[in-house]
Amino acid sequence: MIVKDSAMKRKWGMAIDLDKCTGCGACSIACNQENNMPIFEDDSDVPKRVAFLELMKVTNDRDAKFPDVKTAFLPKMCQQCEGNAVGKHKADPPCVSVCPAVATDVGDDGVVSQIWSRCIGCRYCQTACPYEARVFNWWKPEYEGSFKNSLSTDVSVASRGTIVKCTFCSHIWKRERDKATANGILDINAVLYTPACASACPTGAIIFGDLNDPESEVSKLAKSDRAVRLVNTVDDETPEKQKALMSKKQYANPKVYYLTSQKWLRDMMRFKKNS
Amino acid sequence: MKKIDRKDFLKIGGGAVVGGLAGYTLSGAPFLGFQWLVEWSQDQYVPAPGIEKYVQAVSDSCTNGCKVSVRMIGNRAVKIESKDGVCPACLNGLQLLYHPERISTPMKISGKKGSGNYQPVSWDQALKDISSKMNALVNEGKANTIAAVNKNESLNGQLMEKFVRNAGSNNVYYEPSLNSITSNALGGYVKYDFAKTDFILSFGAKLVEGWGNAVEMQKQFLNWKKNNVKIVQADSVCTRTGGIANEFVGINPGTEAVLAFGMANYLITAKRMTSSGDDFAKWSQLIINKYPLGKVAKLTGVAEDKIKKLADDFAAAKNPVAVAGKGAHGVSGSSAEIIAVYCLNTLVKSGAATLVKNSAVSYTAEFAGLDKFIKEGSFSMMFLNGSDPVYKSVYGEELKKKLEKAFVVAIAPLMNDSAVYADYILPPLSFLEAETPESKPAVKALKESKDAKEIIISLAAMVDKTKNALPKTSADAYKSAGRETAGGKFSFNFEKIKADIEAYEKKLGQNAEYPVTLVPYEAPLVGDGDGLAFPYVLKSIDPSVLNLGKFYVMMNKETGKKHGFSEGSSIKISSARGKLGKAYVHLSDVVAPETVAIPLGFGHESYTKYGNEKGLNPKKIMTADVDPLTGAADWWSTRVKIS
Ligand code: SF4
Ligand code: SF4
Ligand code: SF4
Repeated sequence: MIVKDSAMKRKWGMAIDLDKCTGCGACSIACNQENNMPIFEDDSDVPKRVAFLELMKVTNDRDAKFPDVKTAFLPKMCQQCEGNAVGKHKADPPCVSVCPAVATDVGDDGVVSQIWSRCIGCRYCQTACPYEARVFNWWKPEYEGSFKNSLSTDVSVASRGTIVKCTFCSHIWKRERDKATANGILDINAVLYTPACASACPTGAIIFGDLNDPESEVSKLAKSDRAVRLVNTVDDETPEKQKALMSKKQYANPKVYYLTSQKWLRDMMRFKKNS
Repeated sequence: MKKIDRKDFLKIGGGAVVGGLAGYTLSGAPFLGFQWLVEWSQDQYVPAPGIEKYVQAVSDSCTNGCKVSVRMIGNRAVKIESKDGVCPACLNGLQLLYHPERISTPMKISGKKGSGNYQPVSWDQALKDISSKMNALVNEGKANTIAAVNKNESLNGQLMEKFVRNAGSNNVYYEPSLNSITSNALGGYVKYDFAKTDFILSFGAKLVEGWGNAVEMQKQFLNWKKNNVKIVQADSVCTRTGGIANEFVGINPGTEAVLAFGMANYLITAKRMTSSGDDFAKWSQLIINKYPLGKVAKLTGVAEDKIKKLADDFAAAKNPVAVAGKGAHGVSGSSAEIIAVYCLNTLVKSGAATLVKNSAVSYTAEFAGLDKFIKEGSFSMMFLNGSDPVYKSVYGEELKKKLEKAFVVAIAPLMNDSAVYADYILPPLSFLEAETPESKPAVKALKESKDAKEIIISLAAMVDKTKNALPKTSADAYKSAGRETAGGKFSFNFEKIKADIEAYEKKLGQNAEYPVTLVPYEAPLVGDGDGLAFPYVLKSIDPSVLNLGKFYVMMNKETGKKHGFSEGSSIKISSARGKLGKAYVHLSDVVAPETVAIPLGFGHESYTKYGNEKGLNPKKIMTADVDPLTGAADWWSTRVKIS
């Protein structure tokens, strides 16, 4: 079936409400399951661990003392950076321009893709990513015995020596798109989807949607006072200064927004000392 | 898998190439090098394709029974989903279903108990052997030496209770849970109406981390935010609940009860409030004499004014509620604490806490509770219904010895630290394979595993005394499931807990030999240990808990400095009950001074290769004082020395 060539206006983005996150870990299990994460005998071995979503425990005790302390959790995945154009250089996520094999790219839906089978394992992108969102398969992904039965056919199993990362579950997007087309809906812009982490969250802390649609919940949340992006230093400047800085220098400009009204947490995420 | 770091890995890589070349020239096997290349580039596993569909299932991961959708590819289940989100315990159902170490046929022990050597037997043989053993005990008049330990109050737990009671035994126990211990302390478990309250005062209850009914609590949590419900958390570790609370009151470890005594004292003496509970006069007299605010302030580390302010705020709220109950999964048995906290509710006439019972579950057994039974009771036959008391009880080592001498039947899908002492292990279905009145099995049952309800029903049919006692089918069992009924009248049970109230002062005072206090905390997904058999749980563990095989405890920074520990230094912890193996220190001020916080749920001995030998099980050295009302050990905080 030929899909109508509609202008693709999507810019998928995410807003994660840290004030609603209880740290239950459902997002992490769901992501592992959805994306066929390898199963090693000791996955507590963090340097070797292959996972897209890291449930980070964050506390303010670098600066605060008991009992003036706080604990929060921050689900961290690929921040789906947008980058910004500098001179002749087009807007690119930090990880994309360095790839010599075009294994990672930005789609017209804004998703920073990663094609395992095209990756040559040079790990340039891993070095370039400021968020440690990319992982390298030092070992061949294994699934002991019957664990193989739970593998999804939507996500290919990576081979050893390749880089993998969160793709905003774009296979679900493709699945929904195909379903829609089969039902005669040819306007792709009408199709919505929810990544596995967002749909698993019992408190609805993860909101997903189109940042290009000003009416979408995620757009509104991204503009709220509670929104903060992870260590994107330019965000702290005035709009004029931002423009000036971004014309000279590239920033990550993530499409994942975190929401919190907790000042300590905002400060931590922006690399500032707690006040 | 052997731990290999990156440097080793590069060596191996080089070695393989050299080996390949050597093989090429020396052994005449020219393709060895290719084999290695193939593994790098081609050899990935391809999941079997099939038609995609969604089917419904009802989770039995907790007693809540959530309905979920299961994404199927052909006849394989690949994902558990729900439009309301899914809690992690339920998501783990998939890893249980396809766990490579799942027990799939009835098994009979074929070596020494604890060795883990079993051989498959038929259902017929297993059920015949077990029922004849039971018939013999009943006929010899030894029915009361038959015992059962249920994991929880689910329908199969209720059936097990009926079965063993009808056989003539009073020895039916539940693993200590919030419901079981509060029931025994208060005469019913507390039904909180969190939707109606405007002020929650929690004495260390991990409200949003899995405490109580986790599914319900997640919903309530969102409502509290919307309705500006004030949450005060008093705790010695600032966990996530402390993080979301409007106010975190840091207290010295193990002083939750004392803080409640102090607040009650103030509300009774300064505000003339009274409780309608039995024995209130005696109880309040003791509290007033023994725990004046000055002393409470000293013991808890909370200033006197602050205690008064907390009590005033609590009393001034429209519908305040005070909550006890400790961990997200782990619970501790102090009835003096549970009663003191509940007393606060009765003082302010909270409309958000009432006592209820389950008509099919009685927590009254021969002994007050499981730990007391393990410590003092004896049995010749034991049913372990999904439970793992060897791992979870502070009396695990004592229980091992008793299980060694008894005839033990475990209903367990995976081996665990208790089932490894069983004579027979019977494999139950995972919820994805089970049929319920609302759902068909999502996937075909693994080999010979059977619904736990059916296992108990078939056994009961073969025991003369219980032949007609149970429903005939599991479908019938659903009709006889327990209902919620009114609880008994609240009593302070003064005579029984008087000594414990007095003991707090001594327990919390200076102790030259054991100067610091060990308290547990629960990491996401691991809880009190059930999660550890699942690799995706291991994948999510924060490196500040377990990293490269190193197991970390948290210690307050100042305390670390004082006792000579820095970040990452190794630590040995010992209590009057024994020592723990080596752990490492993570300095963090989310922990109160003079306190060491240790993760729960680690240090399994026989819980699959994923769960085994990772970290330490603190219960081995935690205090083992058994509470007189709950019959459970009050182990939550333990005096230790560190070196
Ligand atoms: S987070 Fe890292 S991997 Fe993801 S888009 Fe940004 S730079 Fe690339
Ligand atoms: S969007 Fe998908 S791949 Fe990315 S973290 Fe969430 S579940 Fe994982
Ligand atoms: S599922 Fe939701 S509440 Fe749970 S850890 Fe993830 S974001 Fe937080």
